[in-house]
Amino acid sequence: MAVLTAFRFTWWQRLALGWLVLLVLVAAAAPLLPLPYPPGLPDLANMAVPPFSAARHWLGTDPQGRDVLSILVYGARTAVLLTLPAALLAALVGGLAGAAAGFWENSARVPLTYWLVGTGGTWWVLQLPLPTLGLGLMLIGALLAWLARLQNRPLPTWPLPVDALVVGTATALDTIPRLIVVVAVVASIGLSAPGLLAVMVLTAWPPMARLVRAQMLRVRQLPFIEAARAAGLPERQIWFRHALPHALHPLRTALPLSVAGLLGLESTLSFLGIGLPPEIASWGRLLATVRDEPSAWWALLFPSLLLTLSILSLNTLSRMSTSRA
Amino acid sequence: MALVNQTAVEVNNLLHLSLIQAEVTNHQYVPALAVALPEVRLVGDSLMHITYELRPVAAWDDGRPILGSDVAFTVKLMFCPGLPNEVVRNQYHFIKAVITDPATPRRFTIVCWGQAPEYVKATGDFYILPAATLDPAGRLSRFTLAELQHRAPTAPADTALQALARQYQQGYAGHSPGQLPGCGPYELVSWEKDRFLYLRRKSHWWADQLHPTPLMLRAKPQQLEYVIIPDVATAILALRRGELDVFPQMPAREFERLRTAPATRAALQFYTTDSYNVVTAGFNTSHPALADAATRRALSRCFDAGRLMKATQLGAGQRTVGFISPSDTANYNRALSLIPFDPIQAAALLRQSGWRRAAAPTAGWFRPGPGGTRQQLRLTMRYRAGDPLLTTIALQFQAATAPLDIPVSLLPTEAGSFSEALRVGDFDMYAQVLKGNPFMFNFTSFLHSQGIGVSNFTRFSTPASNRLIEAIATASSNASRQRLLRQFQALMQQEMPIVPLFFLPSRTVADKRLSGLNVGSLKPGYLATTIVRTARATPAP
Repeated sequence: MAVLTAFRFTWWQRLALGWLVLLVLVAAAAPLLPLPYPPGLPDLANMAVPPFSAARHWLGTDPQGRDVLSILVYGARTAVLLTLPAALLAALVGGLAGAAAGFWENSARVPLTYWLVGTGGTWWVLQLPLPTLGLGLMLIGALLAWLARLQNRPLPTWPLPVDALVVGTATALDTIPRLIVVVAVVASIGLSAPGLLAVMVLTAWPPMARLVRAQMLRVRQLPFIEAARAAGLPERQIWFRHALPHALHPLRTALPLSVAGLLGLESTLSFLGIGLPPEIASWGRLLATVRDEPSAWWALLFPSLLLTLSILSLNTLSRMSTSRA
Repeated sequence: MALVNQTAVEVNNLLHLSLIQAEVTNHQYVPALAVALPEVRLVGDSLMHITYELRPVAAWDDGRPILGSDVAFTVKLMFCPGLPNEVVRNQYHFIKAVITDPATPRRFTIVCWGQAPEYVKATGDFYILPAATLDPAGRLSRFTLAELQHRAPTAPADTALQALARQYQQGYAGHSPGQLPGCGPYELVSWEKDRFLYLRRKSHWWADQLHPTPLMLRAKPQQLEYVIIPDVATAILALRRGELDVFPQMPAREFERLRTAPATRAALQFYTTDSYNVVTAGFNTSHPALADAATRRALSRCFDAGRLMKATQLGAGQRTVGFISPSDTANYNRALSLIPFDPIQAAALLRQSGWRRAAAPTAGWFRPGPGGTRQQLRLTMRYRAGDPLLTTIALQFQAATAPLDIPVSLLPTEAGSFSEALRVGDFDMYAQVLKGNPFMFNFTSFLHSQGIGVSNFTRFSTPASNRLIEAIATASSNASRQRLLRQFQALMQQEMPIVPLFFLPSRTVADKRLSGLNVGSLKPGYLATTIVRTARATPAP
């Protein structure tokens, strides 16, 4: 197993962590907070009023009359509930893909049944012509696996160039700037939180995969892996239980940076008006309202402040030094 | 033939001319290509002859005179298959023939089915196109107008007509200014989508020979440049820097801010007039949940038009009962009441129309549908993305329906996709600004069954409303048309396919160095062709 490590915090890092914890707490408790107005409610009598100038709009309203404080609080909820899962999912996908690519490179061989189940599953998920054909392939794969197990016979295997597939896909995604990919995909599939989450994961996993792959190429040469092989452990077990925990180390630094990048991306998309639906509060969209009301400095200042603090905090945390426990 | 948006009308008015034209300042039709307003003669009890005479000096750019044959060609082109002319077909189906006489080629008569005063304006208000340039082979002359009008959609394609349509379409698609010449005072030098249009005054503009030159035929600026700035803040910055001369349709808050700030008040001139642009919300009446008028009436009670107008227009504008402007006192139906903002009454009306609120909180409203199905009241509202006015309306409606447990999803949509979504019916509700004028009362295109799938986005039509729309278009006198229009407003308030919220004011801001800027209620709100820029005063040594 991986060697446990302990973090050593500087003052700046403690401040950063404190800020992020506060943000997560505010996001979690948003529905319970005694906010005077819900985030999507336009107050038609108080459009674009500055802070403390209208009844109970403590941080003012945007040009549509929505309460800025509510937008900030619920925007934090959006940021946490969207960017954090997206970063974690991207780390999971990138980590597994990179680790597999680094460990097996292009030498892996996959039994025919997995090929059938994988191809059929992809066919069905993508809803290609005759989606039931995909289900049929999956069924045949499962049937073959069952028969092979009954007769205790090994199935034929086909080579799977994992490394070429992972590196090729990551390179293909990296050749186009992330914002362009996301804008193109979001504009074509429409606006929805799950769709945006999927797109964010799609564009955020390649850097993770590269880091983990590089680490795995180093780890797999280490003596304990050789020892595990010599002991006769199956390859999958060596990969998952012994090599993977070590190969995932770089993610500890990359994850906060990934969250920071995705936070900026979500805000950028909302600023451009192509992110989340308008009823979902977002710091980026609040920033964008300044275009309608250039004198509304409060709609610029407060979300900018929160965004800057959050991204700086995540960057600070990514530079954490470690000491062996 | 089909204008992508209303803003395009402004530029087309500079490139092309019609026989008669509405004056921006006094809202009267005045002669443009025609020498005078037409002579009207009623024939029997079913035909109307409207005779025009073209100005002797009116000529195309190549010097050829503009003749009655050009008018006949333009009318035929309205019915030529393969062109995006569905809307004009509906508008001009009353034209029976265009009679020209080789002996007097500038004089011609438009024969109309029916005897409506409306036809006099309608027959003069379309751009005349050059037959010799667009159809040098005379392909259209082989067909009579009746043959084109009554050509079945399933008729085998005619290669000559196809070639003509293709050539016409290529003229637009190619962005080539020279391919679609007009007889207006300006020519298009260059344009780039979403960036700019650059127009230059023709060196030999035929109306220069007229003394005095009528207001609508004047062309003072040597060049006109239209800059497309989608962002209001950027546009205002450009105006303040002196990079823009005129800023039409300025949003209320920016207008007030500039008007009250000492620096801008000294450098700019400000104009406010009524407009014929009405803010509306529409229902997709082909959706089962919105097919009955009672449900639509109930939902219309969730728009707080009064406060919306106060909030977004700072109180300017006019509440309305229908699509006729309250300024049009003769036709506006004052007997009708404004639609109140009353969510409680909305809930009661929903119950009357068979909806029942589910027992569980936030579960919504249901009612039995045909064939044992269960309908749910769940709405998506589309509006043009980036429009603060429409965004506010959508948010207000969503906030008003939320306590009633009516889920409303908002779909801000890019302008091009928005028009297409409305055309194919991919929406439950939409918010839009309808741009009108005080002259034409032909509602065929957007509320008649003939417009469904083209420009009747709500897909609303009933036999009674169709009959009324046709009767308005063919009313034989102003008095009978006024009566019918009032009936129509009452019927629309009863059926409620579209909720009229309020008429917008028109706000124009111009550089103080400009003179001769004629401002009015007609779109675009000002006359660009009469503007003169006075030189900046040089300080005395």
